[in-house]
Amino acid sequence: MNMEGILALTGWGGLRWVGPVELFERGPVWLRDWAVGWLPEGAKVWAEGLIPAVAVLAVFGLLFGLATVAERKLLGRIQNRPGPNRVGPYGWLQFAADGVKMLTKEDVVPRSADRVLHFLAPIVMLAPVALSLAVIPYGRDLVAADPRCGLLFFFAVGSAAEVAAFMAGWSSRNKYSLLGAMRAIAQMISYELPLVLSALTVVMMAGSLSLVEIVEAQSGYWWGVIPRWHVMTPWGLAGLLLFMAAAAAASNRAPFDLPEGESEIIGGFMTEYSGFKYAIFFMGEYFGMFAVSGLAVTLFLGGWQAPLAVLEAAPSYGWFFLKLGVMIAWFIWVRGTLPRLRVDHLLNFGWKYLLPLGALNLLVAMVWRGLGGWAFPGAGAVRWLACLAMIGLPAILWGRLLMRSRGWGPRVYRYAS
Amino acid sequence: MKPSEILTPIKQRYGTAIQRIDRLDDRRLVLHVDAGALKSICRFLFRDLDARYIAGIGADDRPYSGRFMVAHNFAFDRDGLLASVLAMLPADAPEVDSIAGEVPAASWSEREFHDLVGIVPRNHPNPKRLVLPDGWPDRVHPLRKERPWNDRPDGYDEDRPFAFDPAPPGCVVVPLGPFHPTLDEPAHFRLYVDGEIVRGCEYRGFMVHRGIEKLAESVLTYNDIPMAAERICGICGCVHNVAYAQAVEQAASIPVPPRAEYIRTIMLEIERLHSHLLWVGLAGHILGYDTLFMHCFRIREPVMWIAEKISGNRKTYALCLIGGVRWDITPELHDELDQVLNRLEAQWRPLVSALLEDRNLRRRAAGIGVADRALIKEQGLIGPVARAAGIDIDCRRDHPYAAYDRVDFDVILAQDPDVWGRISVRAREVFESIRIIRQCLVKLPAGLLQAPIADELPIGRIGMSSVEAPRGESHHWLITGENHRPRRWRVRAPTYQNLQGIPAMIRDQRLADMTITLGSIDPCFSCTDRLETVDVRTGAVRVCPPEELRDRLRQRWNEPTTP
Repeated sequence: MNMEGILALTGWGGLRWVGPVELFERGPVWLRDWAVGWLPEGAKVWAEGLIPAVAVLAVFGLLFGLATVAERKLLGRIQNRPGPNRVGPYGWLQFAADGVKMLTKEDVVPRSADRVLHFLAPIVMLAPVALSLAVIPYGRDLVAADPRCGLLFFFAVGSAAEVAAFMAGWSSRNKYSLLGAMRAIAQMISYELPLVLSALTVVMMAGSLSLVEIVEAQSGYWWGVIPRWHVMTPWGLAGLLLFMAAAAAASNRAPFDLPEGESEIIGGFMTEYSGFKYAIFFMGEYFGMFAVSGLAVTLFLGGWQAPLAVLEAAPSYGWFFLKLGVMIAWFIWVRGTLPRLRVDHLLNFGWKYLLPLGALNLLVAMVWRGLGGWAFPGAGAVRWLACLAMIGLPAILWGRLLMRSRGWGPRVYRYAS
Repeated sequence: MKPSEILTPIKQRYGTAIQRIDRLDDRRLVLHVDAGALKSICRFLFRDLDARYIAGIGADDRPYSGRFMVAHNFAFDRDGLLASVLAMLPADAPEVDSIAGEVPAASWSEREFHDLVGIVPRNHPNPKRLVLPDGWPDRVHPLRKERPWNDRPDGYDEDRPFAFDPAPPGCVVVPLGPFHPTLDEPAHFRLYVDGEIVRGCEYRGFMVHRGIEKLAESVLTYNDIPMAAERICGICGCVHNVAYAQAVEQAASIPVPPRAEYIRTIMLEIERLHSHLLWVGLAGHILGYDTLFMHCFRIREPVMWIAEKISGNRKTYALCLIGGVRWDITPELHDELDQVLNRLEAQWRPLVSALLEDRNLRRRAAGIGVADRALIKEQGLIGPVARAAGIDIDCRRDHPYAAYDRVDFDVILAQDPDVWGRISVRAREVFESIRIIRQCLVKLPAGLLQAPIADELPIGRIGMSSVEAPRGESHHWLITGENHRPRRWRVRAPTYQNLQGIPAMIRDQRLADMTITLGSIDPCFSCTDRLETVDVRTGAVRVCPPEELRDRLRQRWNEPTTP
């Protein structure tokens, strides 16, 4: 074995000695090129689109399975119990058992349901979310599609989930389903605004809607150690926090899981779903979580960039998925820690807290850029602290004001006599 | 106030209408009054003397006195007095003026004796059926003595649906129950909803009746009934067990050995421990906070184990017989119980401090399910619901029984008459229970477990017993009778009263708050529904093989739905 490298196919026909670093880094791209090369000319265009699509679905399909087990295990830890530990090594094959269970369950459709919509809703839920995974750069040159308006595309297809939720709720002919669907729509639309606002800050600073370019704008290091990720700036830090809060709500994750709050409205818009249709909803929800987490990594955490120059030897997609894992762990942690919100509290939180702060953050980003010209000693630190204070103080004070406990008052019956 | 001080104003106002006054002991009073004055006297007790309404009882007394009997029980909590106002009604016209207009808390009791005994409350504000299903034939009253316990009357139409009131204009009906993820037992709330705002509801419950009261007066004997009584409730069974035994002991003047009294106290507090731990967990689950749920259940489990070591069962301890208890606390159990309590306290204290300082939870639970003082008075709400509103009532202190007069404990109060206050009260009551058990273990005297009873119990005596269940006061009322069984035994579980407050508590708040508001009274539908007499097809327990079940289902499925 040659210690300097291994023989690799670099694209169609190319054959040369490469180091392991380059092999892992470029491997997926070469593999695609190599596979496409076999095909006749007319099929190449199709294959170039299809191969990344299959790869993305396969990777995230597996990740979905692992994430469900990881979630249950981590929640188990938080709740001081073991979690699943029977199927496979340490229970990690639990998702396969769950999948088989879901597949073999009876698919019950209510007699009075609108059968066509009832059938379509899960597909409409999953398909756009899967589409939005296409524009996220998973590594250097590792992106399924890089349109100039990647971010816009992401949000555009992502909002189709609202339609799916309402389709499911309406077609089930169940009042709880409809209530859940109404909640889902109110919630998703409310939280899309702060989500987009905090993404907009990044667009403004990076000067591009293309996610690939946004990642490239975060390359390099300050003083050679601190990566130039957006999260390292005050507006980026605030933006990430706002983004993640809004993302949890937009993807119906606990503590914002009101659309399916089982103790209140049974299963929300999924009440009348069973078997594999239910599993597809479930999958759509997880894919949604992956997509927004991936977007958060891309926008604020430097995408596939390594945190230190010396660590760039590891493949870039490794860094991306590591960061994605951290984000998912954060979601699970929040789920285990916070109780569910009530509908009005949820909407208040979105409209009265996240939205104004998102707008303020846009302003902070402008100030940050405006102060970039300062050139006295310690200017960087002053600029940093000034901007942090500008977003941090209002966040704390406004939060205090809104969280003032109102307690109870004498009951006033506003409607009924 | 002594009984005499309460009696003086009553005697002054209603001198001639009062036929007889029985003072069962210093803390129990029975007033035999004219049926015509019943309503007026009840109003006087409830409004002017500020008594708390407990329960109404109807009984078929025809085999003994040739008449029907109706009684309304009141509690004077500050004075430690339980009073029963009793009137006899002629056998040919069992009618009495309804007191529900004056004493709203009596509404269900009157509907119940209308259904079961056939005593008609005249001018009842809501004279619908409460207990019996709508398909039950009129004029068949299961608790009348001529009906057998396993009666299945002709003309019973099992499939007839409930006749619900029409929904108010502009409202959509959302059915909650009988099956809902957070209802552990069946009950049906027909919610009138405007958007997400609940404007009112109609309740249909009593779906899990087992005819326990009828069985007690027709089949079982004195010492069988405690075991049936504790099956009234799956979670506070020991309460019913003790309350029944105490009612009989009081009626027949049987002294209970002190050791037995202490053991009863210990078991009742063990039950309160596991019930409150369970409830706090369930409240967490209803509020979407499963982490709290899991921790509560983990902390609760050792309590169940020690209960099993003492009685042989995690639940249904089969503790009491008339005049004593069946299980002893041996020295080994004594030490182990002590250790369980230490571990429980060490684990529960940090959890409670985290829980009570959680701002998210507080915001979620504060201001919903409000039951203010007026509502509590009108509907006779009890237990943690009342204590959360700052109303200082607790049967353990006000009407002491077992060994509660010999231990030192605080009645936990809060000043928030909402769900948050109830969470806080229940979470903190756990510490008082631990304190009570510890004192009992120290003071536990040596001696007999069971009083020797040589003679038959006297006949025709009235017994009353109030026991503070984890959910509030559990009240048992009975008349001793022939053949080693009571003539009439009436159980009023705490949820029976607390459920009557629910329509006012959920009104004009969000649908999302419905389940936690209902949950906050710690509802126990089996307790409430204890007394169905409808027995079922054969009256015998039979295991239905799966094939037959499937065939029946298939048969149902293929039947055309009736319009």
